Amino acid sequence: MRKTLSFTAMALALVGTTAIAEPTGTFRQAHEFGFGAQSSLDPISKGRVFQITEKIMSRLVRPDMDGRPAPDLATAWSANADATEWTFSLRDGVMFHDGSSFGAEDVVYSLQRVLDPANDSPARAAIAMIDRVEAVDATTIKLTLSASFADLPLLLMDYRLRMIPEGSGDTIATTGIGTGPFRLVNFDAEGTTRLVANMDYFEGPPGVAEMEIIGIPDAQARLQALLGGQIDMERGISAQQSVMLSSSDRFNIQMIPTGNWRGLVFRTDVAPFDDVRVRQALRLAADRQAMVDLVMGGGAVVACDTPVGPRDQYRAQIDCPQDIDRARALLAEAGFPDGIDIDLHVATLEPTWPVLAEVYQQQAAAAGIRVNIVQVPTDGFWSDVWMQKDAVTTRWNERPADQALNEVYVSTARWNESYYRDADFDALLANARQELDFDARRALYIQAQEHLWQTAGTLIPYHVTRLVGTSARVGNLDAVENMSVRWHLVTVD
Amino acid sequence: MLSMLMRRSALGLITVWLVSIIIFIGVEILPGDACTAFLEREAQGLLLENCRRDLGLDRPAWMRYGEWAANALSGNLGVSPDGQRQISELVGYRLRNTLLLASGAILCGIPLALFLGIVAALWRDRPFDIIVSTTAIAAMTIPEFVSATLLILIFSVWLGWVPGIVLTSSNAPLAEFFPEVLLPIAVLTLVMTAHILRTVRSSVIETLASDYAQMALLKGVPYWQMVFRHVLPNALLPTINVVALTIAWLLGGVVVIETVFNYPGLGRMMIDSISDRDLPVTQAIALIIASVYVGVNLLADLLTMVANPRLRTAHLRGK
Repeated sequence: MRKTLSFTAMALALVGTTAIAEPTGTFRQAHEFGFGAQSSLDPISKGRVFQITEKIMSRLVRPDMDGRPAPDLATAWSANADATEWTFSLRDGVMFHDGSSFGAEDVVYSLQRVLDPANDSPARAAIAMIDRVEAVDATTIKLTLSASFADLPLLLMDYRLRMIPEGSGDTIATTGIGTGPFRLVNFDAEGTTRLVANMDYFEGPPGVAEMEIIGIPDAQARLQALLGGQIDMERGISAQQSVMLSSSDRFNIQMIPTGNWRGLVFRTDVAPFDDVRVRQALRLAADRQAMVDLVMGGGAVVACDTPVGPRDQYRAQIDCPQDIDRARALLAEAGFPDGIDIDLHVATLEPTWPVLAEVYQQQAAAAGIRVNIVQVPTDGFWSDVWMQKDAVTTRWNERPADQALNEVYVSTARWNESYYRDADFDALLANARQELDFDARRALYIQAQEHLWQTAGTLIPYHVTRLVGTSARVGNLDAVENMSVRWHLVTVD
Repeated sequence: MLSMLMRRSALGLITVWLVSIIIFIGVEILPGDACTAFLEREAQGLLLENCRRDLGLDRPAWMRYGEWAANALSGNLGVSPDGQRQISELVGYRLRNTLLLASGAILCGIPLALFLGIVAALWRDRPFDIIVSTTAIAAMTIPEFVSATLLILIFSVWLGWVPGIVLTSSNAPLAEFFPEVLLPIAVLTLVMTAHILRTVRSSVIETLASDYAQMALLKGVPYWQMVFRHVLPNALLPTINVVALTIAWLLGGVVVIETVFNYPGLGRMMIDSISDRDLPVTQAIALIIASVYVGVNLLADLLTMVANPRLRTAHLRGK
């Protein structure tokens, strides 16, 4: 009898730790309070605090651990033959935090809100090819595109495209009602925002009972808070700071390769950069591995001027060793046997820019490229320097391959920072979008990146590896970028 | 005396007005505006136009200043960029928090500085004086962000006695700032004590060496009576201005300390509002800080005058 009892107790205990585990503990993290008083819970506004929206709202499609589309609020999808009409089946029985049920009308509303020019959403550019959003029935929606697009699900993974209740556009900025694993208790961007576990979350109750998202603008203060045990996680620790964490068993560090890139942009529409040989020489002069070591303390993955991240399924494998002799020869061929002089505009907006510029200055000097570093103020950098001066620094956050290539390199792109105009490249991308066969599509995207390596005016030496510091009490945190983390799995001791 | 008070007050008001113009011009000539700061790389085309129209930035600068000044005179400091809250309310909480930090530092720092300074002067060149003076020089020369980081490392990271960073919201009840506010108060106390202490010490030593102090001793006044009745009242007069400046510095928001500790006070709000180009908030804080400086200095001069009869009648004798 006693044996049976203890067996039952054990079974109960086992069940208790797995299936019906009560959410326990509080997980605390910081955000930069980067948008000040304009901080908002509206996922598509410029002031969105994504560290909060990612936990309270869901997307139709989200990235799996390899960055490929996986079901979130949509469970299945399919396209017609030329990929201009997409049908998404929605999850049944999902409730919003206010108790209303989620359905096709909410999706139609949420997506139309992004597409409405009157709303000025920065997310609009990402899905501008969507022409019409319709509800087929309560759990099915149909998207009609203006042109064929084979990877639409990839774009719907965008961290801003979160579903909100129909008609909630005017209040969502403060109510934050969604279908995510956590529910908003109070929103205080400059102080502490509190979330509690959503016990009705469609993938089961989350691991932690509460989350606190705290506004700490100063990076040093955030690190101090982590060291002092006041927050449990800090994303984006520098290589120098990581030493403090790795020497202690109270903390863990995750190294996450990202698609975030930094680089130098040379405008392809002005002399001398309008000569493709000069552009090649400028990029051949760079020793990228040395840049990774010197600028990033080894925390980056070498890139050969492709914006596509190292973990992206469409990333091209290119080899790009430094070649000073070839750079010199190309410059001579282009009519600059004595080398060229460049004014490179650098701000401290991104702390690694000045270091990157100095390392490049040293490396390029060997090829007769004399770089004069011009310090410009951080304020007004994006409006007065970037896309205005001939040679500037740049930085971008991870985007899916198609988005990265389209938003920054296509002739008509709003953010075409190098004024790159190449009909062949545009055609490659347009074809890739329409190609329904994965392997053929992948070949086209790779060809496009190789074309950039031959002709681009942008030097992208590496993709940043993000260091995430956590306190040892945190468990089950997926070692991937923010937009892919499954926050409901996180636990704290 | 009354006319002097009136004259100084009028001058003070003019100073505050000039400050508001200087701040306005200063923020205007910085590259970029509230919209480019917020939109960053999306600051193009329609998005930028709409933003500027919403915030009224499409009008000429003098018109915006005039409108702001007219509103400010009637006590209306404007609303936050999201249009939800009054700036006076937002700034009010920050001012309260800065006052909490400042009064904590003043209550700990001034008595401590007076005590240590006087004792060090009386025991001049003895071990106590040497220790106090050396520590004071160290506290003054080490930048405050370094001492702040050191204190966090010792008391928060290693010992775990107090939280290192302030995580309380700016509008939380004052009680919730404890114990988080203790470390910032400690750092401020350290810095301000050192400054005041050194002034007190040298002033007391100077007075002790004066003819009238020596005279008092020679005519047989007991040492302690001489110290308390003749030396201290005269020695402490010059320190009033140092104390006043220190208080004004504290009330103006101690930017570095507030940033290191993430303390929601006036100083950090000022920095944030400048980087956001949030002119109404910048102006409101500038007004407060300027008024505090003018007010505290006026008060210090009055106190000195009350304590020193010679100054009180100086303008009469001049005639």
